[in-house]
Amino acid sequence: MTTLPLAIRLRRALLIALILGLWAPFKIAWEQNLAKQQDALRYNGIVMTRRLRDDLGQGLTIGVLSGMRNIVADLIWLQVTTAWEDQEWFRMGGLINLCTSLQPRAPVFWDLGGWQLAWNASVAASHDPKQPDELRRLKAGRFWVDKGLDVYLRGLENNPQYWRLWSDTAMLYQQRLKDYHKAAYYYQQASERPNAPAYLERFPAIMYGLAGDDQAAYDSWKALWERLTPAQREMKEHWKEKIESNIRQLEQKLSIPKEKRVFPN
Amino acid sequence: MISSLQRIIVIGRNTLTEAVRQKVLNVLLIFAVVLVSCSVFISQLATPGLDPAGLFDEQIKFVKDFGCGAIGFFGFFIALLSTALLIPQELHNRTIYTILAKPVRRSEFLLGKFFGIILLLALCISLMSLAFVVTLYVQEQVGLGVVDSTYERMGDWKNNPHIVAMHDHDAAIIISQVRDPQLVEAVVLLFAKIVMTAAIALLISTFATSWIFTVITTFMIYLIAHAEGLARTFWLSQGAESTIWQSALVGLISMLIPDMNSFTIVDEILAGNHIPWSHALNLLAYANIYVIVLLAVSIVIFDYREI
Repeated sequence: MTTLPLAIRLRRALLIALILGLWAPFKIAWEQNLAKQQDALRYNGIVMTRRLRDDLGQGLTIGVLSGMRNIVADLIWLQVTTAWEDQEWFRMGGLINLCTSLQPRAPVFWDLGGWQLAWNASVAASHDPKQPDELRRLKAGRFWVDKGLDVYLRGLENNPQYWRLWSDTAMLYQQRLKDYHKAAYYYQQASERPNAPAYLERFPAIMYGLAGDDQAAYDSWKALWERLTPAQREMKEHWKEKIESNIRQLEQKLSIPKEKRVFPN
Repeated sequence: MISSLQRIIVIGRNTLTEAVRQKVLNVLLIFAVVLVSCSVFISQLATPGLDPAGLFDEQIKFVKDFGCGAIGFFGFFIALLSTALLIPQELHNRTIYTILAKPVRRSEFLLGKFFGIILLLALCISLMSLAFVVTLYVQEQVGLGVVDSTYERMGDWKNNPHIVAMHDHDAAIIISQVRDPQLVEAVVLLFAKIVMTAAIALLISTFATSWIFTVITTFMIYLIAHAEGLARTFWLSQGAESTIWQSALVGLISMLIPDMNSFTIVDEILAGNHIPWSHALNLLAYANIYVIVLLAVSIVIFDYREI
């Protein structure tokens, strides 16, 4: 191959510099605009930090840098399952954090991660046969419940539209923490999210009933009854007869004046 | 103009025919289709147990991630290898001399070759997407089967309208996740990213003396392109503490290397999040303009290249 004359090489270099020079400001402005849009829509999952790189290791870091973030997160998630089977709770907690850091907008990691910690790890710790001291067992169980709750709450910050996370948080407050007022709040939020099953609409009132707060339970049942259109009330998933019987019982119990009752008869 | 277009189309069609005959690309394509199809088995490794809908949230995510991941991964390698081999093969077989001896401009030759690669990539992505659709359908049927068998355990559930409503809700969740129309958006964005990779490889192959150099350099640029956003942010917000060399390096990366990390919004689609088409179209327009700029630079380099 012969070398091109200097003049031709210069002309070529100038042409290339001209094309790239004209494009560069537009490119940077466009990319900044795209990044701003993605930030506003909360798409950007992670910033590769030194700590994250250390946690991932070299191979997985290259995977993340090659645009395979979701597959890396899935592969780590498989290790969560292994850690669960091996009952290595601290390892499992670390791996769940890694997955949720890589894909904070994947609700399934928050959902199952919270369940693994708040239920599986917690129940295992509170029934640990190697720990004779019951108080310590209970403390360990509560430690994992709090860890699971933290995962749910952070998941809700990142995925506020996902009804299942609200519902799972509510279930945790209801069944593990016995805080029925909070459970009612989270069930209420869950029922207002898109694609939420209709049965969740009844749960806040049931929770107030469990808390012994009859007035709040009555208000909740009444609000639900008034919210439903006559056509909706007839739909099977709304359990019309249950709502009606609960309202009737509470109207009796709370001695609501007839003129203020939903069912005066 | 029309005759020029015709020449480009003829060269493109020939490029496609030659590429389809290459064994290495066929093997890659077979691997891709097999991996996409196997994603349904990989998903079985995910957490077992839970209620039907919860179980399949995770497994469907796995199928989508591995399916689209395989399309992206193998699409990248098919684009890289087929483009890197374009010019060296023409030089090696000496067919380039015959073509350029005819009234065919070098720019037409290069555009025709790139057009052929786009056709090849479209064909490969279509085949892989077809395998992906079939795999998703299988996963949907598996999911619906588990939902049915879970409710079957409740005995005479079909006569209880409340339970039927819950069953239908669970089944609807699985169907809505599998038949997500946004998956089309994801595949289109993956295609745009792969075409960008091919354009980068074409640009490098116009001055490279070996195809291995093209492959390695394009791969490096592909990696850097996923961190271009970091370089750009650093460059635009740097303080007095950065040296002139650091500044020059990140500035050069910001000005020359495309931002491929923006395409990771495909992950968001696969995770079930809504991506407005307006944003996807903005990204596609960016990719298109970038490809045009890369082609323009490739033509300038190739026009002056001694062959």
